Amino acid sequence: MSPARRSARPALDPALARVPMRRILVLGPTIRFRLRPGDRALVRPGDTVTPGMALAERTPDPVLMDVGKLPNRGPEMPRPMPLPTPAAVLPPVSARAPVAAGPVSAMTAPVVAPEPAAAAEPLWRAGASEFDMPRPTASKPVAAPEPEPVASPDAEVEAPVAAEPESRAAPDADVEAPAAAAAPSQAQAALRGAERRRPPEPGKWWVGGDDRRGKSGGKYRQNERRIAGTLLFETHGRWRAAAGERHETFESPVAGVVAEARNGVEITVTVTGVAMPGAIGAGEPSRGYLDVPRLTDGDLWATALDVARSGAIVVAGSRISAQAISRARAMSIRGLLAGSVGQGELRDLAASEARQRAGIAAIVPFGLLALDGHQRRPIATPVLALLAAMAGREVAIVTDPPMLVFDVSEVPLPELPPDWVRVRSGQHAGREGRFLGSAGLHRFRAGIHLESASVRLGDDESPAVIALSDLERFVF
Amino acid sequence: MFFALDFGAATTSVALVGNVGNRWRLIAHTAAPASVDVEQLIAAQLAGVASADGELFAELSGRNVGQKPPDFAAISQSWTRLTAHSTPPRRIAVLAGSRRQRRRLEEAAINSGWLVAGGSGEEDDHVALSRLVFDGEISAVLLGADQSPSGDERRHLPDLAALVAAAARIRPELTVVLAGGAAAHELAFSQEPDPRFAQRPDGGEVTEAAAVSVPRVLLAPDAEAGNPAGAALQQVLEGLRAVRDDSRLGFARSIASLAYVLDRTIEGLEVGLDSGLRIRSEPYGQNHFAVVSSHVLLAGAAYAPIDPTEEVIDGVLAWSTISPPDRYRTLDRLRDFRIAPWGESDGEGAILRLAAAKAAVERLIEATPDITGAPMPDLIVAGGGVFASLPPSIVSLAMADLIRRPGVAQLACDQARLLGPLGALEDEAERRRLLANLADDLLVPLGSLVMPAGIKAGRSAGRLRLRGGAQDAEIDMHPGAIQVLDLQAGMKAKVVIDFRDTVRLGTRSRHFEMDVSGGLSGLLLDLRDIPLRLPDRPEQRRAALEAWQRGMWPEMDE
Repeated sequence: MSPARRSARPALDPALARVPMRRILVLGPTIRFRLRPGDRALVRPGDTVTPGMALAERTPDPVLMDVGKLPNRGPEMPRPMPLPTPAAVLPPVSARAPVAAGPVSAMTAPVVAPEPAAAAEPLWRAGASEFDMPRPTASKPVAAPEPEPVASPDAEVEAPVAAEPESRAAPDADVEAPAAAAAPSQAQAALRGAERRRPPEPGKWWVGGDDRRGKSGGKYRQNERRIAGTLLFETHGRWRAAAGERHETFESPVAGVVAEARNGVEITVTVTGVAMPGAIGAGEPSRGYLDVPRLTDGDLWATALDVARSGAIVVAGSRISAQAISRARAMSIRGLLAGSVGQGELRDLAASEARQRAGIAAIVPFGLLALDGHQRRPIATPVLALLAAMAGREVAIVTDPPMLVFDVSEVPLPELPPDWVRVRSGQHAGREGRFLGSAGLHRFRAGIHLESASVRLGDDESPAVIALSDLERFVF
Repeated sequence: MFFALDFGAATTSVALVGNVGNRWRLIAHTAAPASVDVEQLIAAQLAGVASADGELFAELSGRNVGQKPPDFAAISQSWTRLTAHSTPPRRIAVLAGSRRQRRRLEEAAINSGWLVAGGSGEEDDHVALSRLVFDGEISAVLLGADQSPSGDERRHLPDLAALVAAAARIRPELTVVLAGGAAAHELAFSQEPDPRFAQRPDGGEVTEAAAVSVPRVLLAPDAEAGNPAGAALQQVLEGLRAVRDDSRLGFARSIASLAYVLDRTIEGLEVGLDSGLRIRSEPYGQNHFAVVSSHVLLAGAAYAPIDPTEEVIDGVLAWSTISPPDRYRTLDRLRDFRIAPWGESDGEGAILRLAAAKAAVERLIEATPDITGAPMPDLIVAGGGVFASLPPSIVSLAMADLIRRPGVAQLACDQARLLGPLGALEDEAERRRLLANLADDLLVPLGSLVMPAGIKAGRSAGRLRLRGGAQDAEIDMHPGAIQVLDLQAGMKAKVVIDFRDTVRLGTRSRHFEMDVSGGLSGLLLDLRDIPLRLPDRPEQRRAALEAWQRGMWPEMDE
């Protein structure tokens, strides 16, 4: 994968150069996580994220809330206090035992330099945005502290100081806060206050109570439930929000740098490391160790997907069956990787996910990646060799674009003859062999004339004439 | 000399046009998957021309015959290139106050090539509507109302305008179109930047995130404006969607110019991976000084649409002769066309492509009742990669299967895919001059189609005599059949038909005499019903289609 190695490639035969190229690995791809109204990003552009770090807080079933009038207290607000350095915000690592499982790099995420204390100008958005708040740095997100009472009778707009726990606890769930959040410094409190006073705008996080929906606590309710979401728009001075009671934290399956983060729209991350592009991705982005079991005739029997593979991303051979998907999900397998997946199976998966989302229990992210397409084809041998070499390592399936991400920049590349080609479609689909040369314009089945090549497939004695458009060559 | 390059979603085609004997001629053309390097394709084409006709190449390149082999790559760089690109599919969110208005707006957006996601204040809540406009795949939002909105629309408009304005603030890359009465809410989008954010306290530059972006807002006519209704809005939306040198719109422009040059009514059908287009252009007025054109461009008329619906699959299965028909397998193959558009171009792949292309044309025909209701054109042009890759005879049959109107038409195919790049020329006069020169070269003649209506069942419908061509011929006409007479490309002949009963073939009569021209598939005499009646039962339908197809495409079983 080094540049020197790339440049050392011999010049390509012009005939072979016309064979469509398939890149097996891409370096530092940009991936996207879609958010919907009611969802907020817990990161900001430039942040370094690590696997397991909270990326976003999702509101699975938002409803339209009439927030009412929100005060725009910007001009009257007091000058924000200087931002503390990360060291000042966060206690020493030893004191942060409950969050120590989090990624180290996340703890050292850059924090915007504080504005000079002498600056008496009004609040600058970039200097006191919600992102300037210390964010959760652990894989177990921090529970939101109870909001401070606000002067406004309507509602409060709160900074994303902390994410919800992984479970679907309500925002006011009684979860013990880790040290950093439990004992906020004076600076943090000031910043949170500043954030609340930031003028309301579409996409801003908003927290309200049951009374917003005309519900009282009632005699059966011990605590009034809070609802939260993002502001949508303002008409006649009244704001509407997409908000709900249930919230889920979405964790990053990959390491990288946040390129873009917009509440309710998307988070874009530039991945650190390499990734293997796929043709189809489905389900949720997920992460697990790569399991490459022994395949029978290029396929994996569904019964091989047992509980021992829990937490794994399993290479499932040429095609993923509906049975394999159901079984894998039941066994807490994190993902399946195969040569192809049918549209019927994808529909089954989508329906199954929708059913699980409607339930109360938290669902384990499950991703599905097909490397070639929808029609059955075995996984290409160079790809399989690469996967075998990476077996046991942590990998991630991401779906937009569909990729298998390795969080390393160096992967062991299999040795491959430069004239090695694979038939990606047609009569010989899935077979591989050596490119012998151009065969010119050839008349194929159904009287179709196509540019072709002579290829020796496997151990065949005589070469086969195959359309160039049905072939692919590999590039690492 | 110039290269005409058409960069399609699936195919890149290169045509070399040269000035030979003070006339523009098509010298060579080639096509390859879009993944192939175009420079390599051009160099290979030049090498092919040089080896086939060294003198012509020397004349074109200004070199001496017998000089040492030239550097084709260097020569190709010095020649002009006329390019056209296929616009990638783009999605628009259509918002309206009422269901009725939403449907009108959606129709205009669909007919201008957009992929559409729609909602209305009457049907959906604001969270559902906000999902539409916040979606990262949406690149434009159309908010529309009647010029004088009725009560059911008016009460939703302020909220909808506020919602769209909010989306435009979060997503400054969105283009907003306010159509008809929705333009009254333009002020919601012209929000002044908050003075507190106008300048940084430290005097630094305003960052992109901090700046209050002024969204791009276009005002457009309502969905009823224009003739036919909605044409005005459709034009605005089409301009918003397409890239400047859009190949499909170029095809439409070239067809209109060709109609003027040839003084004929032309109908064009272009089906590609991302969309499909139907256009009709006919000379109009005294001495045919002008051309009237109407076209519709549908993203849903791609042969492999992005999101194939059940109706799309039904359509493909209805034209498919692959046995046994498998719904999920067909869907899988159709989706694989999007991943590898050139994959499995032969055998069953070709048969399925033909079925998919016919289903796409059928969707185009359904979306253009105005064109369908017009008389048979003089010339029908098939364009797009699918038709260019199939044998000419089967393309002729596909046209006969789909365009069911009584009359006589000449069939042709834009094999070199020149019409798209030529349509990218901005100067109409220059385009007409080029087309007048290239008229004999740029279209591959498929043949002539004779399609009478009102044939009664029986043993014989009458007799047809072909005079001229290679040799005179006389045949008995069989009702319900499609008969082919050999008439080579470039040849003209006179056809004399005596029907047993009165039929419609332009006019109502029993005796007809007409001039026809030949092509690669000869003269097609289509005596099947108009509209085409096919058995309801799938097996019988497939058998009927296969019987017709086998006659025109004997290699399909190879």
